[in-house]
Amino acid sequence: MRLFQQIRPAPFDKLKAEPSPAEIPRALPMPLLRLDNVTKHYRADNQDVVALDAVTLDAEPGEFLSIVGRSGCGKTTLLNLAGAMDFPSAGSVHINGVVTSGLADAELTAIRRKYVGFVFQFFQLLPTLSVRENVELPLLLAGQTANTQQAIERLEWVEMADYAKRLPHQLSGGQMQRVAIARALVHSPKLLLADEPIGNLDSTSAEIVMNLLRRTADELKTTILMATHSQEAARITDRIVALRDGRIEEIRRP
Amino acid sequence: MTAALTLFIRLIVRPLGREPGRTALTIFAIALGVAVVVAIHLAGTAATGSFQSSLETLTGDADLEISTVGGLDDALLASLQALPYPVRFSPRIEGFAMIEPQKVSIPVFGFDLIGDRSLESMAPPKSFDLDSLTRHDIIWAGSGVASEKGQQLRLTINDQTATYTVGGILETTSSQGAPRPNFIVMDIAAAQKAFSKQGRLDSIEVFLPERDDRRRNDRDWEALISAALPAGVTLKPKGSRTTENRTMMSAFRWNIQVLSYISLVVGAFLIYNTIAISVVRRRGEIGVMRALGAGRAAVTLAFLAEAAFLGAMGTALGLLLGRIMANGTVEMLAATVRSLYVSSTPGEILFTPDVVVVAVVSGMGVSLLAALAPASEAARVPPSEAMARGRHETAARLATGRRLIYAGLLAVASWGAAQLEPIGGMPLFGYLSALLIIAAAACATPAIVDRLAQWLSPVLRAAFGAQGILAPRSLSASLARTSVLVAALSTAVAMLVSVAIMVGSYRDTVIVWLNERLQADFYIQAAGQREARQYPTIDPAIADRIEALPEVQAVDRFRGYPVYYNGRPSILGAGQSEVLSRLGNLGFLDGSPPQQVLAKLGSSDHVIITETFANHHRLNVGDTLQLPLGGQLVDLAIIGIYYDYSSEGGAAIVDRKTMLKYLSDPSPSNLAIYLADGANPESARAAIENATSGFSVTLADHRTLRERALVVFDRTFTITYALEVIAILVAILGMAGALVALVIDRRRELGVLRFLGASAGQIRQLILFESGLIGLFSNTIGLALGTVLSLILIFVVNKQSFGWTIQFHWPIALLLGALTLIYVAAILAGIYPARVAVRLNPIEVVHEE
Repeated sequence: MRLFQQIRPAPFDKLKAEPSPAEIPRALPMPLLRLDNVTKHYRADNQDVVALDAVTLDAEPGEFLSIVGRSGCGKTTLLNLAGAMDFPSAGSVHINGVVTSGLADAELTAIRRKYVGFVFQFFQLLPTLSVRENVELPLLLAGQTANTQQAIERLEWVEMADYAKRLPHQLSGGQMQRVAIARALVHSPKLLLADEPIGNLDSTSAEIVMNLLRRTADELKTTILMATHSQEAARITDRIVALRDGRIEEIRRP
Repeated sequence: MTAALTLFIRLIVRPLGREPGRTALTIFAIALGVAVVVAIHLAGTAATGSFQSSLETLTGDADLEISTVGGLDDALLASLQALPYPVRFSPRIEGFAMIEPQKVSIPVFGFDLIGDRSLESMAPPKSFDLDSLTRHDIIWAGSGVASEKGQQLRLTINDQTATYTVGGILETTSSQGAPRPNFIVMDIAAAQKAFSKQGRLDSIEVFLPERDDRRRNDRDWEALISAALPAGVTLKPKGSRTTENRTMMSAFRWNIQVLSYISLVVGAFLIYNTIAISVVRRRGEIGVMRALGAGRAAVTLAFLAEAAFLGAMGTALGLLLGRIMANGTVEMLAATVRSLYVSSTPGEILFTPDVVVVAVVSGMGVSLLAALAPASEAARVPPSEAMARGRHETAARLATGRRLIYAGLLAVASWGAAQLEPIGGMPLFGYLSALLIIAAAACATPAIVDRLAQWLSPVLRAAFGAQGILAPRSLSASLARTSVLVAALSTAVAMLVSVAIMVGSYRDTVIVWLNERLQADFYIQAAGQREARQYPTIDPAIADRIEALPEVQAVDRFRGYPVYYNGRPSILGAGQSEVLSRLGNLGFLDGSPPQQVLAKLGSSDHVIITETFANHHRLNVGDTLQLPLGGQLVDLAIIGIYYDYSSEGGAAIVDRKTMLKYLSDPSPSNLAIYLADGANPESARAAIENATSGFSVTLADHRTLRERALVVFDRTFTITYALEVIAILVAILGMAGALVALVIDRRRELGVLRFLGASAGQIRQLILFESGLIGLFSNTIGLALGTVLSLILIFVVNKQSFGWTIQFHWPIALLLGALTLIYVAAILAGIYPARVAVRLNPIEVVHEE
């Protein structure tokens, strides 16, 4: 059932990707991201496993949140729900006021194209595409045509424009992650979801990447949710959400 | 359970079971390849191996056969029977009758029903009672022709249709024990009358004394009997005709059998791909196994075992499918044999052990051979190294240059093989040349795919966005695998293209030839004629009556005799060269004007021969052809070699006057009627029909004759096309299976695309794009390779097998249609892999280790 009447006109910046209006549900004014009493369980080996248990969390525009906790505590599940990649078993996820539950694949895809960017631990750059082409990819997938300039601008933002023609395997890990961040930001999403973005990097590269994410939140006003094991990395975020066994143990300022 | 078997099940069978769709597709692809080989083997044996079913089955164990062109004088039988030897001579008349109104052609044999002991096997002597034998309208029939004594049958024999009464039902069996119920037996006198062979015999069978009684060996007996025969009469061991017919058809069988192996060649690429995918996927596993103590041989054997497992499953299913397919194939082959070679009834489809051997050798052998390279590659993986896919692909990319060099060397070898002479009449080097050029194309395929993908990338990106950029890149990135898919499909496409060009060229050549040859307005032959190399005669009075009609300008009386020259079945014909030179047409190889050659033909003992006859017997203009005619050996000077596509055995043609000089029978077997200038064809037809009333003859205009010829032609090549289509099907099935593997290997990449905003529809489109590109690349390479193969088929294989010249011709519409269909099929092959791709859970695949 559709609960939303209107999508809030929220000009993000000039690089915004335009989805098909028909594909995006209308929304009421709300925080950019709201997880409202979200529970997620799934079956593994014929057993019910609770990945998230009654999690409630809001994130405002430009806020940088880190999700910390042990492996298997539900960090990645939380990011996937926040990124409209999955549905909660109970509760609701609101992205820019839109409830994801019950949406069709095309509608979820449209939400991801407009509002969400992803950064992964292992970068996940497509090995067959050049750096520029990797960054262009979200725009191409969204059906945009004149996109090379946008990709170059984002590469300049992460200081990787000089590497635009290279293939991923010609880059270092830190460079690859910067390109991945450029790719995640190329369509100017309101929400950036980073799953262990420095988990596979040396300390120097990790510092560069963290500074880049901090700049993204401050200058682009992008809301960032970052899953991390690193307490050091969590310290430069605005709030730290500690998860334990699928529940929020505490939310604190660093 | 032994340790090896446990490991085999755990490491090989279980992983195959985890991908049942892909495994089933691979097994089915092998099964189809094996099935085609089995079906053609079974059907070929049944359709072409049944000559014994006629005369030789009925007459049992005669030792020798006496015959000559145009038949023997029956006085010869009396003189032979008077010889003071314990040898039995038995006269024979052979021909065909057509059962009316069903128009079914049945062999008819004339025997000495009272004296011939060789018939005891199928009926007691008292069956042939004297009362019946005095009547010429009594026949004895096999159980497939009539059901009871006293039954009446309408039979057309030569140009007469009459009612015959069944005097009894006969039973006999083939040498293999299968019943042979379709034949008719008449007393020799009745047969001579029915076939207008009064005073003549087609052959005399010779039964030598029982071996224990012989004081001479077979060669002595042959010498003794030969001495008693007039010149021009031949004595041959019984069964020579079967052997000669089989020799004549060996090229046909060879070619059809070789074509049946194409699907297996295509299947080999797919097995190679399947095992290569297994090796790449299990590099980590291989490393662990090696670290745990497995030797290189064990690793190689494990992957060979996987291929053997797939091959065994495919072979078992292929045997079953092949037996079923043989049912449909045998009649197609038999129809071709009857039309082009010799009268024959298809035999039983016998599932003999050699068929199983053929299936196992082809199915398992091809699987193991194809798996050898990837299996030995697996053994070379160092234990410490569980390499990533990217490195393997880079290696494949880097090797493209070296493979291009191999391709060049193979192409040169192919050209060299094409220059070599046939061995024993078989174009073995022609086949080798074709195989080498296929291998050359396979070696060049990675480089071509890579280059085509690079060229197409900007165009596709501009036209189709993300899918347009990702599809060619993915193919290029998975070059080691996609190039095998392209090689498999392009081989199948190339075979289809080459056969289409060859058949199209052949058809076009035949049409030109028919237009050139069929210059007369009407043609007449006995209604009983339905079989290859059978020339039932018509009453000479018919020709005279037609010639007297005011609408008719001339009649060319043609008489054909089936002959064996140098052990090869051929045709000796006699026509009126004066009429042919004035009104007809013939194309001579050396470009000589037909009027000039034909004028010489009537002047003396001259002969013209067909291109195939000249090639098979290595004869040239100026050589002499010696033929047994009318009790003497006649030397005929060859004065021309002409193009002819009517029979593979070829023909030698003399003037009618020359023929009548040696063989007194004036009955023609065919008439070509030329109308007078300005004559109305319709009224002429009515007048001719009136002139032939009372005779069972068929009258056809040149257009009808041409159409009939093309119907036979098209039917002949239906099976060829069917084989090619199956090869394409094998490639498409294999491609679907391999694409599923590619999808599974690229699952993380596909999952990332979903995270980056790709919809399910875009993922589906991406896979369909890739399958479409594989189809496009395969069509491109297949068209080029097929054109080269067609040149080998036309100018080497065909020329060496059959001996005729075919003018090269592009069947553009057919090729366009076929390539479009293949392209569509290739895209359709992507549907299942696309479905697998869409069903992948992006969260699972992106986060899995």
